[in-house]
Amino acid sequence: MRITSIAIANLHRRKGKSLFLVCGIAVAVGTIVALMSLNGSLRQELGDQLDRFGANIVIVPNSDNLSLDYGGVNVSEVAFDIQRLTMRDVEAVGSIPYRQRLSVIAPKLITNVEIEGRRAFLAGVDIKKELRLKRWWRVNGEVPSAPNELLVGRSAAESLGLVESAATPPTASDPDPHAHHRRAASASITRDRVMIAGVQHKVTGLLELTGGPEDRMIFADLKHVQQVTSLGDRIDVIEVSALCKDCPIDDIVGQIQSAVPNAKVSAIQQAVRAREQTVESVARFALAVGGIVLIIGILMIFTTMMGSVSDRTREIGVFRAVGFRRQHILQQFAIEVLLVSFVGACLGWSWGIAATHFALPYFSEAPVMWSGARQAFAPALLLSVTIGFVGSLYPAIRASRLDPSEAIRAI
Amino acid sequence: MSFIEIQNVTKTYKNDSIETTVLSDVHLLLEAGEFAVLMGPSGSGKSTLLTVLAAMNRPSRGRVLIDGIDVYGLSEEKRADFRREYLGFVFQQHHLMPYLTALENVMLPLVTSRISSREKKRLARVALGKVGLATKADRLPSELSGGEQGRVAVARALVNEPPLLVADEPTGSLDSRTGDEVIQLLRDLNLRGQTVFLVTHNERHAHLGSKLVHLHDGRVTAVINRAILGIPDSMQQVLQENAI
Repeated sequence: MRITSIAIANLHRRKGKSLFLVCGIAVAVGTIVALMSLNGSLRQELGDQLDRFGANIVIVPNSDNLSLDYGGVNVSEVAFDIQRLTMRDVEAVGSIPYRQRLSVIAPKLITNVEIEGRRAFLAGVDIKKELRLKRWWRVNGEVPSAPNELLVGRSAAESLGLVESAATPPTASDPDPHAHHRRAASASITRDRVMIAGVQHKVTGLLELTGGPEDRMIFADLKHVQQVTSLGDRIDVIEVSALCKDCPIDDIVGQIQSAVPNAKVSAIQQAVRAREQTVESVARFALAVGGIVLIIGILMIFTTMMGSVSDRTREIGVFRAVGFRRQHILQQFAIEVLLVSFVGACLGWSWGIAATHFALPYFSEAPVMWSGARQAFAPALLLSVTIGFVGSLYPAIRASRLDPSEAIRAI
Repeated sequence: MSFIEIQNVTKTYKNDSIETTVLSDVHLLLEAGEFAVLMGPSGSGKSTLLTVLAAMNRPSRGRVLIDGIDVYGLSEEKRADFRREYLGFVFQQHHLMPYLTALENVMLPLVTSRISSREKKRLARVALGKVGLATKADRLPSELSGGEQGRVAVARALVNEPPLLVADEPTGSLDSRTGDEVIQLLRDLNLRGQTVFLVTHNERHAHLGSKLVHLHDGRVTAVINRAILGIPDSMQQVLQENAI
């Protein structure tokens, strides 16, 4: 028989109190695990969402003349730019040390063209990359697949008379007052052939209204636009989407700036900062609630263990009388707490994960379980043991310092 | 030098500003192999003297030497080791751990010893055998009679073969016959060379001692040898019936 056997036998004997302690620790640990998991899940989801928002880095040529606003970023005026971006710069961006973090590199050539007597913005892009970058784009019709095929922004299409104008007012005889809006959203192409720079193009798709600059633009294959406009391999803007969950955005910007020294590299910090603020708020809330639960858990263990020491005065007296040292009494309490903490951690972690699973849909539109939840067991165990030890430290020391003669007197 | 020397021990308790002297200049010598019986009215300081002797209650003045060791000259932890190696304690209420079997209760003083579990079990079984409970080793205290519980308590006190066995009114909670059994057990152990220090109120049991010590108001008022006392007829019969 060892001190461990006595501790186990004692826990078994005091089933009610042991169960109470286990439940107390489990609730504390479970709540903290649930809060941390929720926080982790929300952080993960926010990160994923922000990564889907599109470009978070924009690269434009260095210039004093800014004439075109694109996606909230000024693009240098074509005629007066001294510094130019080229396809070599696109390759340079793709070769930075943090290149694994770059999910999309989307170069663009944006120029003014005349189409049937009207001025329009023509953007040469890699359509597939663009669609990956702008996930909110909705294409009515077909996505261009050939060089001379076009994707046209809604306002541009109306301006060029490629679609029925959305400005057509609803008629009084129209039985459905919302039909006008539905027609505006799902307008179909009425004319699909346009001449640009002497080359005939086919309009395959209409970009539904986004409220952004793309509404006024016509999109075609980048190389094709470079050819028909005789602009060589010129690039006006490179949009980059960095997989930016906890990424060092400033470092990425620095590396791109080094790779493309003749360009102005801007991180769209606003979105990142907003995400950080939201996540930090959730984290602070979790920390505050977790701290309160931790203190309650420790106090509960403290109270129960103090009661236990009081109940076990005689027992401790007998142990001391038969030759147990103070350290042996401490050891017995420590083993009891360790066992209770371990069981409490297992239960707490399980219910914390389960609670997160059930609670997540109420906090998130697209619930994704935090990938670190399973790895949270070790910290949960550590937390549980900490709660147990901090809560029982004073009672155990008090038990070990119990004067054997006082305990005997209690006998 | 005597095996036990209680040298001018005084024990005073302070409660707020009130000072109460429980033991006053107690001087007592016991030889190895003696069966000493301590008697006295309630409040005379018997239990205090016993705990002082059992290395659990530091006297306010005086010294306690057991086998030449100044017990209270030892550190707290060394004194715990000393209790384990030199002393066996039988409590009035037995105080067996209700969640441990008889065998495990007997093993308690060995728990912190650096011997193998197998050896601990063997020693505990031997001790249980000495008190006639070898067949009830796996029973919980609640499954034993009062007398059997008393025997387990005695087995626990002697499992580590201590030079000194102290018993604080071990028959106090037992009926007369069961109490006699426990006392007979102690006497039998004494006959085999075990030094016993017994606190009792029972006159008949007191007559079994080789030395009777009377305590009154914290002072030793008489020390009488058994040769003078003799054994009463009623106890003679018990001894014959319960001889192990």
